[in-house]
Amino acid sequence: MAKKIHEIRDPIHVFVRLNSDERKVLDSRPFQRLRHIHQLALTSLVYPAATHKRFEHSLGVMELAGRVFDVVTYKDSVSDPIRRSIPEIDDDDSLRYWRRVLRMAALCHDTGHLPFSHAAEKELLPADWNHERLTREIILSPEMKAIWEGMTPPLRPLDVVKLAVGPREATDLTFTTWEDILAEIIVGDAFGVDRMDYLLRDSHHTGVAYGRFDHFRLIDTLRILPPPSTADGGAATEPALGVEEGGVHSAEALMLARYFMYTQVYFHAHRRVYDIHLKDFLAAWLDGGKFPTDLEKHLCGTDNEVYVGLLDAARDPTKPGHEAARRIVEHQHFKVLYERNPDDVAKDPEAGRAVFEAAAVAFGAESVRHDRIPPKGEAVGDFPVLMKDGRIASAVALSDVLRNLPVLSVDFVFVAPEKWKDAEAWLRDKRASLIQKKETQ
Amino acid sequence: MNRLQRAAVLTALADELRKRGSWCGETHLQKTAYFLQELLGVALGYQFVLYKHGPYSFDLHDELTALRADQLLELRPQPYPYGPSLLPTAASADFRARSPRTLGACRRELDFTADKLADKGVAELERLATALFVTREMPDGDAEARARRINQLKPHVSLDEARAAVAAVDRISREAAAFAE
Repeated sequence: MAKKIHEIRDPIHVFVRLNSDERKVLDSRPFQRLRHIHQLALTSLVYPAATHKRFEHSLGVMELAGRVFDVVTYKDSVSDPIRRSIPEIDDDDSLRYWRRVLRMAALCHDTGHLPFSHAAEKELLPADWNHERLTREIILSPEMKAIWEGMTPPLRPLDVVKLAVGPREATDLTFTTWEDILAEIIVGDAFGVDRMDYLLRDSHHTGVAYGRFDHFRLIDTLRILPPPSTADGGAATEPALGVEEGGVHSAEALMLARYFMYTQVYFHAHRRVYDIHLKDFLAAWLDGGKFPTDLEKHLCGTDNEVYVGLLDAARDPTKPGHEAARRIVEHQHFKVLYERNPDDVAKDPEAGRAVFEAAAVAFGAESVRHDRIPPKGEAVGDFPVLMKDGRIASAVALSDVLRNLPVLSVDFVFVAPEKWKDAEAWLRDKRASLIQKKETQ
Repeated sequence: MNRLQRAAVLTALADELRKRGSWCGETHLQKTAYFLQELLGVALGYQFVLYKHGPYSFDLHDELTALRADQLLELRPQPYPYGPSLLPTAASADFRARSPRTLGACRRELDFTADKLADKGVAELERLATALFVTREMPDGDAEARARRINQLKPHVSLDEARAAVAAVDRISREAAAFAE
């Protein structure tokens, strides 16, 4: 008899279990392609063991999504006001359907990733395209539709899309409150399992221990709750993911893990500059300087083909992208000339741009690069907390950690290593005139 | 508008709301920015979708976070159990003083928005902003049809609450039109 439940060993979750329908998605071309997409692009040049792939991350996200679903829909954990807001939660058929959709969406959420993941997405796709749009196209493709329709009962492909990319990326689709919550389970700012898995997994593979947190405890305390009140004339009632009081410390640990992983790994200056060199290489190496959005071509493009081209170009000065490829392969990356700091931000929030533009004139545009990433999400970083007395409190009101967590922002200027010494002396001389308060144009 | 110009407008909006007694949490800024852009025509360039508590912009959400990183907004915790405020910093006053042209071009719109909405709580702001969203979605819809649509989109908003929100938004829209002339 064919196995109904399949088990895959995993260094983070020990076992990931999937049923035969999920196995069909696992065996599909779009999903198998993820075996060849590094989770952290060229980060292994800085943290050598960070060679893990989107494949195992996606399995981990599915595993965690199922766990969170079971916890937050457990009958005794859902209050009457939440039942009234989300009627689906009291319908067993509906729950079974949506649990399947959620796990499938979690499995597919990264299928649209380009080679080397985020490293080159914005500049190297045509306008209006990103990996989420490619994910959507894949989920709706005839190949995947045949899988959704072959299930009993079949899954609606657009339901999978909604939960896989969330309301931020599917702006043309209307989400019910229930669908908002389910999408939040995967891609949410606060408790999205995509983030939980990548923090744990990236921490494990980079060897940066700060990324760990007690996700078992956190997941067990997750609840669907009304938002915290603002005491200014009637609280809003639309539900969101929050935690029981006993989970606040685990939630703090998650936020701290995120902070440390960003400072130590994702925003590490050398990692950032390798991404820039990779982007420069790809812009020269790809046909027309862009990745294709045709699905067949997308499915044929992985890190492997790019690596072959990169090594080839690094060896041969006549090949497009040679210089950028050589810098990656020979570890001759650009060095940090300028890095954002609070004093400069107080004068000019875009101080890096001022330094970059002047340095490009002084040392040549080919020798200077600017890396600016304004922070995303977490404007407030608040979420509802269910107190032991039944009240709903703001996590920020309860937690010194959350209210004092720094907001991260990247603003680097890099310069070619052979010009770095001169550039550093130049910046010492020019700094005061370049970074100053000026009228907003 | 570029990012720094938007920063000047958003911190000015927070400042005007606060001066008029608003709680000024993220929901307050999201909904008032929606009115400022969609009703008053201030070209902030945000895309709003129907999401948390009505129209919501993920780009604006990111921008508010960036303003914290830029020391222009600060998170001000409120007494337990209430949610926090996002308030303009002292540095933001200095920053706005360096943005006279940007702010001069939308000063009346900022004042109008703050005058009409600063005293509203999050629940009422959700209803009003959703009513404006639906009115823009159904420009020819009568008041009852729009109220029913609000109730359909946000079942926790009762039909009577939706009717009151539609009437209030129609009134504010008429005043905004007169003000624009």
